[in-house]
Amino acid sequence: MITRKTSTPSFIARRQRWGFYFVLPTVIFFAIFFLYPILSGLYYSMTEFTLLKPPVFVGFGNFEALLKDRLFLKSISVTLGYVAGSTFPVWVISLFAAVVFSQKFPGREILKALFFAPVLPSLVVVAAVWLVLLNPSGLITTVVRPFTGLAEINWLNDPKLSPITVILVHNWTAIPFYMLIWLAGLTGIPEDLRDAARVDGANFLQTLFRVELPLLRPTAVFVASISMINAFQAFTLQYTITPGKGGPVDVNTTMGLLIWKYGFQYFRMGDAAAISVVLFAMILVVTAFQLTFTRGDKYSIQ
Amino acid sequence: MWFSIALVLAVTFFFPIFFMVTSSFKGENEIFAIPFRWFPQDFQGFAQYAKAFDRVPLGQFFFNSAFMAIVDVVVTVIFSAMAGYGFAKFKFRGQRIMFFFVLATITVPFQILIIPLYVQVFKLGWADSYAGLIIPGIMNAFGVFMMRQFAYSIPDELLDAARIDGAGEFRIFWRIVLPLLAPASASLAVIIFLFSWNNFLWPLIVIRSQQLQTVPVGMTTFTEPYNGPPQWAVSMAVSTLATLPIALLFIFFQRYFIQGLAMSGIKG
Repeated sequence: MITRKTSTPSFIARRQRWGFYFVLPTVIFFAIFFLYPILSGLYYSMTEFTLLKPPVFVGFGNFEALLKDRLFLKSISVTLGYVAGSTFPVWVISLFAAVVFSQKFPGREILKALFFAPVLPSLVVVAAVWLVLLNPSGLITTVVRPFTGLAEINWLNDPKLSPITVILVHNWTAIPFYMLIWLAGLTGIPEDLRDAARVDGANFLQTLFRVELPLLRPTAVFVASISMINAFQAFTLQYTITPGKGGPVDVNTTMGLLIWKYGFQYFRMGDAAAISVVLFAMILVVTAFQLTFTRGDKYSIQ
Repeated sequence: MWFSIALVLAVTFFFPIFFMVTSSFKGENEIFAIPFRWFPQDFQGFAQYAKAFDRVPLGQFFFNSAFMAIVDVVVTVIFSAMAGYGFAKFKFRGQRIMFFFVLATITVPFQILIIPLYVQVFKLGWADSYAGLIIPGIMNAFGVFMMRQFAYSIPDELLDAARIDGAGEFRIFWRIVLPLLAPASASLAVIIFLFSWNNFLWPLIVIRSQQLQTVPVGMTTFTEPYNGPPQWAVSMAVSTLATLPIALLFIFFQRYFIQGLAMSGIKG
């Protein structure tokens, strides 16, 4: 083999080839288990396919059918509602918690560890615990009874209340997690900047809003977009905690859940793949937003 | 003042976990007792845990989960370190395009891939097998990036010195680079374990037989009350057991755990 740069001795060029060998397994893996499925998924979205017989090409037929599919249209609004409820409040409260836990006070580390605990269990465990707490006549109902006067509340079976309950349970596990990301950003801000602001007579809130938050813009965008992307894919909590996997009357059937239902309950692989394509397009919008707002800065202050 | 706000936050968020653990030692009726009992009076010892093992092959579920998580961790760490090192310290043809390809995989959520990935696994004859359960999720682009960031900081002089001593490139990776990447590997290992252990969607789809089920999917027997009379205390016992390995990791490797999670930005 002839070396590309005449100035590079051939043994160095030969050595550089090792970089290629080192990345090769990863690239091959992603070609097989990422690139190929993506492309075949696009193809399946334009076919009628039940897994047992080979796919039959139908063009954009599945997408046209989706436009008239009530369950699909409902799943879009369910998903958007869930995204709204499980991103904005999480963003605000996790920032608040991070500000609290970035202060100095006795017992901080242990309280932070306790606060962080909801991140650890799987969503199935989260569902199991909250199913008990949210029993219609269970503990949460008893706790709010002075305000509601009700002896029984159908937290998960009431079509109006259920989506809100699911969002609250999700936010319980999500807030400590995003707190951690905010906290990493906050502790990365050099102490001198804060001191300088204080010396100039800025109070606590002024320092927070005028000095720290502007520096945390990359973190702010990161938390907003990652929480949105995660919420768009919602599946596990809805599957495990709601009655009838997405009920009652499909008020919790997100697009993620519908992909599973169409694909693995009804074996309508083509329709499920078409929903995946729509969901992917929606998530790409969020990714584009994230890239636009973080262009130029790195995910750190330096 | 900060202390009291932090105390309120910590108590509110920790309470359900406390409830889970204490309820697993309570009698079935005691869980809904009014007024609420902070600690079990009708103490059951590990009886509820024993009931769980009677009802489903829980030991097998734990073995399957542990097997999957450990294979995931080992393979991901080694291949991510290799690829990260390759991208950081070498210049070769096609490097940029390969890097962008790996980068692109991060922007595509797993949810989108499940249909075609399942079809592929089905065609390979891997449906309902360890291979189908483990192999498609065994690599993680995030790991490659993380390792690449850390590999940049390895001094070139060290690598060149080894080359002058006549060490081969793979030997340099295995004996010098991999040990230097140990702190990053620890963070990556801890979070890959977390994701793998808590993974729900893929095992749910790909596994049919109970013998191959992992803990999160296997324990849905206890959360779906349609399968018989609800056994809430047993469900809390299984939940506590399922969370225990992650809780131990968090307690003993807190620093790596937090660093890894903060870098990944993914909650499994």
